[in-house]
Amino acid sequence: MADLSVEICGVKFKNPVIAASGTYGFGREYNEIYDISQIGGISTKGLTNEPRLGNPVPRIAEGHGVILNAVGLQNPGVEHFIDNDLSFLKSKGVVVIANVAGNTLEDYGKICNKLDGLVDMVELNISCPNVHAGGMALGIKPKNIEEVTELAKSNLHKTPLIVKLSPNVESISDNAKAAENGGADCISLVNTFMGMVIDLDRRKPIIANNTGGVSGAGIKPIALKMVYDAAHAVKIPVIGMGGIMTGKDALEFMCAGAKAVQVGTANFYDANALPRIIDEMNGWLDKHNIVNVNEIVDTLTLNAR
Amino acid sequence: MKELVSIVKRVENIAENTYSLTVVLPESAGEIKGGQFLNISTGDNSRLLKRPLGIVKADGNEITVCFQVKGEGTVALSKAKAGDKLSVLLPLGNGFEIPESAKNIVVLGGGVGIFPLLPVVCGNKNKKFYTYLGFRNKNCACLTDEFKVSEKLTVVTDDGSLGKKDNAVNAYFSEIESVSADLIIACGPPVMLRALKLKLKENNVTTPCLVSLEERMGCGIGACLVCVCKKSDGGNARVCKDGPVFDIREVEL
Repeated sequence: MADLSVEICGVKFKNPVIAASGTYGFGREYNEIYDISQIGGISTKGLTNEPRLGNPVPRIAEGHGVILNAVGLQNPGVEHFIDNDLSFLKSKGVVVIANVAGNTLEDYGKICNKLDGLVDMVELNISCPNVHAGGMALGIKPKNIEEVTELAKSNLHKTPLIVKLSPNVESISDNAKAAENGGADCISLVNTFMGMVIDLDRRKPIIANNTGGVSGAGIKPIALKMVYDAAHAVKIPVIGMGGIMTGKDALEFMCAGAKAVQVGTANFYDANALPRIIDEMNGWLDKHNIVNVNEIVDTLTLNAR
Repeated sequence: MKELVSIVKRVENIAENTYSLTVVLPESAGEIKGGQFLNISTGDNSRLLKRPLGIVKADGNEITVCFQVKGEGTVALSKAKAGDKLSVLLPLGNGFEIPESAKNIVVLGGGVGIFPLLPVVCGNKNKKFYTYLGFRNKNCACLTDEFKVSEKLTVVTDDGSLGKKDNAVNAYFSEIESVSADLIIACGPPVMLRALKLKLKENNVTTPCLVSLEERMGCGIGACLVCVCKKSDGGNARVCKDGPVFDIREVEL
């Protein structure tokens, strides 16, 4: 059994496997299948200042090796989360990362202010592709990323800030640096890629929102490259994600420079994905006589060209 | 609720484009209520989503589901062979809550919507079921023998190729006076359930009515908020977790 514990921004995780925002609710449902205290952390469903009902249905579609979603940030609002879900998550002993989404720039400040000191980390969702205001609009240009990061940071005095980056951008390295310049303690990437699935018989997109965020096994090579680029552009820690389905996938992201990983779509493919991935990481590390998972972080050597 | 690896026992073509699939679980999934469903992998690993299918029969560790081939995922599922391994997550959803007091139950099924109704009809021997099943045509009709445990079974088709040319909702309302129902349960395409809701209102029928809804799903357990429906109070309900069975008067159809 290798030591899987990691530490990011002073926050201790029992292992580097974190449930990705939007796929895991607030943990209660998966806790009916297995004891969620086994996993490293949970990034909550994106929280907005006011409750949101989200987009019309259908909200999901499928391609080869990928899914698309456009839930539109349905959530009960940040205060409801604090009053009703936070204590449950804390009782499970997992790192609680509150994923935060604003309709406006000011919203981000307000929500961070409400969460400061209550959760282990805040993850700024400036990259949701499925809402028409805020979300990704703030997450594309480096100048905007720096501005929203500064605002969030100025409202967080006790809780470390993760900025979650969109992959739908010109330069992931520049955007990672913008988050770092704005005062982010950590970055996470990638959020989903914008995509479309068409029903040819009806000549209409399947998803009611027309477009959705693409995730799942099929995006892994693209995500891995972006995580590598971002991790080598900044000094702050990076949490990697995008198509992780197995323990080996997770270790590849860590090898590319991520200190921890998030796993989302795999939960739909296999409801036991997170505990399985943790087991598989252990198995691989044991087989390779690596006693501590941190030893694999940023060990990728590029081929000579 | 368990994620298990099941072994395919058999796949049968039961009607046009419609299949019955029986799998064997490695262990018991616990008690399964009529109207609950499972999530099953398609056998094609490039399909990341499982398919939510109503449980038609649960006999010990043997579970039968039925489905219509609609896209590539269900094509793959229809080609499953005995011995294949398919991941299943079950039992899911709330199922039909049949009150002790309900003695005479009207069952309205349209097309592949008949599947989750069968275990209710077969699993409540002390109730009388008045069942109306509607299909597009006789080639699409299936499981009609299994529904014969009903006190009265009426089968109709859109084109009159089997039974009268009618639909299940109209067939019931045309003889509503002769059945004193204390519960109606229904499942079928959205157009059928909308017609049912409208007719109940127009005819001032106050009999409790439960409907099972269908929606494209993600996780199947209520975490991802993909499969919502609108409630009459303006909020959302999760079809997979809060449903799939709802009081027809509490949801927008």
